[in-house]
Amino acid sequence: MDIRNIQGYASFFMTIFLVIVLYGYIIHLYRSEKRGERDYEKYGNIALDDEIDSKPIEENPKAMSENEEQNK
Amino acid sequence: MFHWLEKNPFFFAVGVFIVIAFAGLIEILPNFAEASRPVVGLKPRTVLELAGKNIYMKDQCIACHSQLIRPFKSETDRYGQVSLSGEYAYDRPFLWGSKRTGPDLHRVGNYRTTDWHENHMWDPTSVVPQSIMPAYKHMFTNIADIETAYAEAVTVKKVFNTPYDQPNGTKLGTWEEAQKAALEEAKKITADMKNKDVKDAVANGQIPEIVAMIAYLNALK
Amino acid sequence: MQSNAALEYDYSVAKLFTYTAILFGILGMTIGTLIASQMAFPELNYLFGEYGTFSRLRPVHTTVVVYGFTLSGVWATFYYLGQRVLKVSMAESKFLMFIGKLHFWLYFVGALVATISLLMGITQAKEYAQYEWPIDIVIVIIWVLWGISIFGIIGIRREKSLYISLWYYIACFLGVAMLYLFNNMAVPTYFVSGMGSILHSVSMYSGTNDALVQWWWGHNAVAFVFTVPIVAMIYYFLPKESGQAIYSYKLSLLSFWGLMFVYLWAGSHHLLYSTVPDWMQTMGSIFSVVLILPSWGSAINMLLTMKGEWNQLTENPLIKFMVLASTFYMLSTLEGPIQAIKSVNAIAHFTDWIPGHVHDGVLGWVVFMVMAGLFHMAPRMFKREIYSKKLLEAQFWLQTTAVVLYFTSMWIAGITQGMMWRAVDEYGNLMYSFIDTVAVLHPYYAIRALSGVLYLVGFLMFAYNMIKTMSSSRELTEEPQFRSPMA
Repeated sequence: MDIRNIQGYASFFMTIFLVIVLYGYIIHLYRSEKRGERDYEKYGNIALDDEIDSKPIEENPKAMSENEEQNK
Repeated sequence: MFHWLEKNPFFFAVGVFIVIAFAGLIEILPNFAEASRPVVGLKPRTVLELAGKNIYMKDQCIACHSQLIRPFKSETDRYGQVSLSGEYAYDRPFLWGSKRTGPDLHRVGNYRTTDWHENHMWDPTSVVPQSIMPAYKHMFTNIADIETAYAEAVTVKKVFNTPYDQPNGTKLGTWEEAQKAALEEAKKITADMKNKDVKDAVANGQIPEIVAMIAYLNALK
Repeated sequence: MQSNAALEYDYSVAKLFTYTAILFGILGMTIGTLIASQMAFPELNYLFGEYGTFSRLRPVHTTVVVYGFTLSGVWATFYYLGQRVLKVSMAESKFLMFIGKLHFWLYFVGALVATISLLMGITQAKEYAQYEWPIDIVIVIIWVLWGISIFGIIGIRREKSLYISLWYYIACFLGVAMLYLFNNMAVPTYFVSGMGSILHSVSMYSGTNDALVQWWWGHNAVAFVFTVPIVAMIYYFLPKESGQAIYSYKLSLLSFWGLMFVYLWAGSHHLLYSTVPDWMQTMGSIFSVVLILPSWGSAINMLLTMKGEWNQLTENPLIKFMVLASTFYMLSTLEGPIQAIKSVNAIAHFTDWIPGHVHDGVLGWVVFMVMAGLFHMAPRMFKREIYSKKLLEAQFWLQTTAVVLYFTSMWIAGITQGMMWRAVDEYGNLMYSFIDTVAVLHPYYAIRALSGVLYLVGFLMFAYNMIKTMSSSRELTEEPQFRSPMA
């Protein structure tokens, strides 16, 4: 099999694969929100509420432990 | 899986990288060997022509001139035969350009002469009254860098196996030989020129930029 | 939280990049206006001898605007909003502070040296990748420093989720890194031959391959410098300035992946009808058209963010700037794919329609967005209100007029030229000599030069307004939350 064929197959299947992944992503986004597992729209508030002492939308566990140390 | 990706910057970056690298892998890499095959009879440029090419780059002629004749009748009528991939096989970098403020130059050597170029580079409006091209008078006094051009030829010969010093091909030889050959070539060109300073410089063993430039333009065929 | 009470975001690096954005903006646009005028009035080529011809100055104009102005803007906004969306201050890490400052100074000195090198004619003559190898190495170091900054600040973040803007900054970082490295692979001739200029190098690729790699870069420099980080800006500044969350965060995520996947394929549309293989040209064409979807996804998302709040458009000039920017983004991402259709490209390629297209994107979208971002940041960084709202309004209309004049004149010029090149008489002979097609463009070049002057004046108004804001505007007691205060 020459390089041309490999190229053709690779491009075809990789494109199909990525399209499936992209659609899978769309389904994932909407389904997990519908089921109430996750609320994507709340991340939009990261930009609106961005004071340094305002509460993060989702705490980073690593940074939290640092904060606690500082508070001691 | 997706949610995990959004929270792990490292794997997120890897994901982005795969997605953007994909097109390049498919489109560019597999074609490399084929696209660099030269057309039959293609010779690498002489040292003087390479020096001219470097001036073409230095003064950014590609800002206004293309070197790519597209497969349309209007273009082949105006500029000559369609450009072929193999004709560019020794061009590093490619100088196709992206804008034609001035005409295409890929085959300008077929229909312009040394004498025309000399007048045109000194004062474009003297040959083309409505031209908006600037004059390049400094090329008549600046001395071309033959040494760097020779260094470039040696480099492409060693690193990329560009066929210099083949039978019936372009001879490169040692630095002394190359210098002599470049000067000989320059003298042939200045025989058709009238600018006295340029002629004197070449007689004294120095090659002004304009001579190298014309050698390059004449070689574009 | 007592220890955090005194903690504030540290904008010192963001401020530095704001200064260079203004400086390089003025420089790049002045040169741009000069070379636009040279095309209408060729006598202007002789102002600075060898160093003042159109051909020498054109790469100086493009690189100063792209890598001077735009990248400064990208970095100013990154060092500003990167901290905010992660809720962590640069003051918390001495290391990141040091890297940030080093990043700036290396960049500033590097940019000056690089600009001078182009004026001297030291170049590898690849568009948007003109610099010779020593400068390329410095650029790589600068880029790595930025990478350390991005991932360093992400490493100490309090907010676990990365806001969409950061996704775009990361993509900008990765995309440019990959493409720049590949495109600039070259062999310095001095080290192989031991003679000649030490600065000279030859490309690793030849002919058609070089063209492909170059336009893979050239096209995606537009993607990853003019699109991706600018989208990052609008996703932060428009919601923040208007107080409205993004219309659909999910749509923004989808457009991101769509854009990442599709953009790279489109590079070969710069090489239609050239000697690259046909299937690649077709691929470039098709993907260019597909590219409309993710681009418009972002743009529409931005416009819908203003839903129910359109009154802000009349009240707040910064909203006006940003809404116009996303409108121009829609326009140029529609125009680009149209030009990438093969039969249109046959006429458009090599003509003035192409610079026309680039400039409605850059003047209308990139510069507008960067200026709006910097205006938004100024009251927060300098703790003063914006100096003059009137000036801002005047600047908006002046520059909008300039952009419209620019692209309309270049559309007409480009299509006229493209049609004249191919016009034949009844016997099939070419009707026009090349110089006819140049002479006919004079009025359009003159209009374009005028639009350049108008735009430059507008930019000087921006610079004046910013400097006044920094130095003598009324001081603010506390940081404004949404709408930027202006006098």
